[in-house]
Amino acid sequence: MKIESMTAHEIRSGLIEKRFTAEAVVAACFERIRQAEPKIDAYLTLCEADAMAQARSIDERIERGEVPGKLAGVPIAVKDNICTDGIKTTCASKILYDFIPPYDATVAKKLKDADAILIGKTNMDEFAMGSSTENSGFKRTRNPWDLERVPGGSSGGSAAAVAAGTVPLALGSDTGGSIRQPAAFCGVVGLKPTYGLVSRFGLIAFGSSLDQIGPFAGTVKDSALLLEAIQGEDPLDSTSVKHAVREDYLSGIEEGVKGMRIGIPVEFFQAGLDSEIAAAIQESIERLKAMGAIVEEMSLPITVEGLSAYYIISSAEASSNLARFDGIRYGYRPEAFENLEELMEKSRSEAFGAEVKRRIMLGTYALSSGYYDAYYNRAQKLRSKIREQFREAFQRFDLILSPVSPVLPFKSGEKSSDPIEMYLADIYTININLAGLPALSMPCGFSAGGLPIGLQIIGPHFGEDRILKAAYALEQELGLPDRKPAI
Amino acid sequence: MKILVEDVQYIAKLAKLSFSEEQAKKMAMEFESILTHFESIDKFDLSDIHLDLYSEALQPVLRKDETAVFPDKEKLFQNVKSMSDTSIMVPKILE
Amino acid sequence: MSFETVIGLEIHAELHTRSKIFCSCATTFGAKPNANTCPICLGLPGTLPVLNEEVVNLAVKAGTALNCHINKLNKMDRKNYFYPDLPKAYQTSQYDLPICKGGHVDIEVDGMKKRIRLNRIHIEEDAGKLIHLEEQPVSLIDYNRVGVPLIEIVTEPDLRSVDEAVTFLRTLKAILEYGEISDCRMEQGSLRCDANISMRKTGQDTLNTKVELKNINSFKELQKALEKEEKRQRELYTFGEESKIKQETRRWDSAKGKTVPMRTKEDAHDYRYFPEPDLVPIIIREEQIVSIKESLPEMPAQKKERFARQYGLTEKEVDIIIGDKALSQYYEALVLLGAAPKAAANWILGDILRLLKEKELEADLIPVRPDALYRLIQIIAEGKISITAGKEVFEAMFITGKSADAIVEEKGLSQISDSVELEKIVEGILDSNPQSLKDYAAGKTQAAGFLMGQIMKASRGKANPQVTKELLDSKLKERLE
Repeated sequence: MKIESMTAHEIRSGLIEKRFTAEAVVAACFERIRQAEPKIDAYLTLCEADAMAQARSIDERIERGEVPGKLAGVPIAVKDNICTDGIKTTCASKILYDFIPPYDATVAKKLKDADAILIGKTNMDEFAMGSSTENSGFKRTRNPWDLERVPGGSSGGSAAAVAAGTVPLALGSDTGGSIRQPAAFCGVVGLKPTYGLVSRFGLIAFGSSLDQIGPFAGTVKDSALLLEAIQGEDPLDSTSVKHAVREDYLSGIEEGVKGMRIGIPVEFFQAGLDSEIAAAIQESIERLKAMGAIVEEMSLPITVEGLSAYYIISSAEASSNLARFDGIRYGYRPEAFENLEELMEKSRSEAFGAEVKRRIMLGTYALSSGYYDAYYNRAQKLRSKIREQFREAFQRFDLILSPVSPVLPFKSGEKSSDPIEMYLADIYTININLAGLPALSMPCGFSAGGLPIGLQIIGPHFGEDRILKAAYALEQELGLPDRKPAI
Repeated sequence: MKILVEDVQYIAKLAKLSFSEEQAKKMAMEFESILTHFESIDKFDLSDIHLDLYSEALQPVLRKDETAVFPDKEKLFQNVKSMSDTSIMVPKILE
Repeated sequence: MSFETVIGLEIHAELHTRSKIFCSCATTFGAKPNANTCPICLGLPGTLPVLNEEVVNLAVKAGTALNCHINKLNKMDRKNYFYPDLPKAYQTSQYDLPICKGGHVDIEVDGMKKRIRLNRIHIEEDAGKLIHLEEQPVSLIDYNRVGVPLIEIVTEPDLRSVDEAVTFLRTLKAILEYGEISDCRMEQGSLRCDANISMRKTGQDTLNTKVELKNINSFKELQKALEKEEKRQRELYTFGEESKIKQETRRWDSAKGKTVPMRTKEDAHDYRYFPEPDLVPIIIREEQIVSIKESLPEMPAQKKERFARQYGLTEKEVDIIIGDKALSQYYEALVLLGAAPKAAANWILGDILRLLKEKELEADLIPVRPDALYRLIQIIAEGKISITAGKEVFEAMFITGKSADAIVEEKGLSQISDSVELEKIVEGILDSNPQSLKDYAAGKTQAAGFLMGQIMKASRGKANPQVTKELLDSKLKERLE
């Protein structure tokens, strides 16, 4: 069984048709992990024994004639900021190095209900702050296409786990591009759903008003399948969708793009964009036109400025969300401390990494006495303007198409330490989080050096079906999923 | 926007973090450049934007006043470093 | 030169809900440490709050009862500060858009009516409890109270004396109790008060430096704490040393009977409020406000007016009875059963209050139910026992929980000598024993002895034997004729 080339769809149907067992799938999956993981280092925790036990129980149920869940027997990796009952969940931070949640995130519960098999928890930038997974407090993850290079981030572990063929599906989280950018760097499909479509309950918060859990998969159809399994209203999340949502994204996914109006924002194609990326996207635009889409240039004037608003809002929220990590109830504790005050300060100072501290500090500053109106409040107002800008755009267009990242996967340690320059790399993704929109990142080509190039399809609120339709059409046209990294 | 090392140290205190003088100096410079970049927002007129306006379209999100018990208290406190019976034990807090 | 005292109060009242503000844990008082906790109120990573609808309803009810403007859109904010009793390191509260604005409470001190304005009412969550162990290097944390819903009621600095402040708190407590908004158990901390006090020259418009007194849990403490601080400030002003009054927070130490300065950090007041992103704005519809207004029970002021009119009680009597909701409910139950309004009031103002005080009980825990007391009142009214004996019976009822009749019997306090009542019993026994009548007619005189025994049994031994004997003889004679 070649798990690395199997889709979730193939695994589930193979099980139901009794061509193989879930146990065999999980065994193959760990076999692949034993090959790939020493080179990739995508996982922080592996759950082999639990996974095998769960596989056997699914096999027994199939044997008894039961119809198993939507993701029956499908191995899945979960980003380590999503709480899993009884399984260590660290956010790749020393401060949570030994934290074992006593409860399941809503998505983790939904995966169990769908009979997906949790294989392991994946590496990430500490508390999802970063875009290379180099900010992990524990290890570096490598890009399966070029081990010298980063997998992107912050969900770099999940993207690399799928790209390396260790699992067909993975979950990540996206606050400013943390699903889409690593998907682009690793040549897989990553979807950031509409804010509220997927429950955040159990997702260890970074920027609460921006965070969203979403799927990684090798194919567009597999993304749709995983989205179906995890989405929907959650009474435990006040910000989750409170109306009925489309339950089935697969029927109609093959309808094609004929007649679809696709906008190309000129601000997303300006200085700083890598020429190979620009060329690959241009090629995709031509293909979409050839398939009958109506593609037009358009303008989203507030783009660069969104970056400032994003860093103010996400850091402010993070400074408050990460305040609870004080060494008192769980997690890291310094070896010696004189009193409680010192316990708290030392826990935080010793266990948080540099980037996390920088953002906590920036956020604390933006909220501190006298600065709230100048920074946080103004950022929220700009955010509301950005939302309005997209609302107007989606009156004219069904979808918006753009690059994901201005740069190709870079080498580990190569990226600038200048925060502004570093943050500018998120320019194509952060506005989508500010507006709460859904967007998908998919491979659209390769650089001359053989590195994957990603393309972003942005839709209106709850327009996931439309995005998936266009993505599927393009994926079929480009025929890329067959190209796999050699490990 | 000038940011002083003292500003950084004050913020550090609020955030319960400690930094060396050198780190604080570096951070002051970084913040200055980030917040200067933020001034790019000034070119947009935001005076007509009012957050927090009542509208009939807004829906409250509430739960019923019903009780439930988290069943496994041992599991609930499994991450606590030291307990005394069912209380969490910490170094003495001075008031 | 004359000075006046300026006082403003901030009152925290625990809302009367079953579950906590953001999770389903119970709010019951006195549970084992951390028994009422779950991942949400413990602020475990990844958890999210969902607002309890009853919290909103009760806060709107409080706003309605206190004449506030209800903000139809209001929101929760995070108040950020580190403290071990606060597991998220922020308190979810309300900052610039509270649920209620303005409002007022009318109070009466020494026969003078005065309106005290409110600034606002907002919703927030309570923090946990720290237990400091003597002579041990550790403290214990109990998070049962974390997430218990509170409203904070903030007055304008309209109070001009300690008396006014205490009266205001009493009046407010009665309103919250009558509205079933909070059970206001000060001894359990479900009603707490912070007081801001400053002094100024009479006639001055501006406010001088104030001192905040925290942790006040009873009327007596409020009175003492304010009196002490007022005296201290007055003396400083009198001697021109008012510059020694610093803006500070002092904690009332009930054991020491004085206020002590709180260890404050210079950064303590930079709370970095911002809107809680895990919750959506609180939306209150006009219909909801109207229906809550309609559902409001009678408030103390209206009740006072009605009691005076309906029951003919003196103002002082009314004040005491309605000052405690449970007492006023007891009174009305007693009157409704048929007790004379004045007699009912006398019972409450006399023996009930005395016994409650002696036994240190709250009025909602009076061990004698109104119907049981009413039975006692009847027994006395019928002249079966004297009023003095009645008081003795009541005390026994209060302590043992037994009925008036049982105690009267136990203590042998009454005999039935009322001929009408006895006649009823005698007739009843004669009617139900035709055989004995026949026997008696046939000359079996011992039949009369049997009937006598039956009568005594029916009257539970209370029948006066002399009177009964005479009555039975005459009745037998009647029947035989």
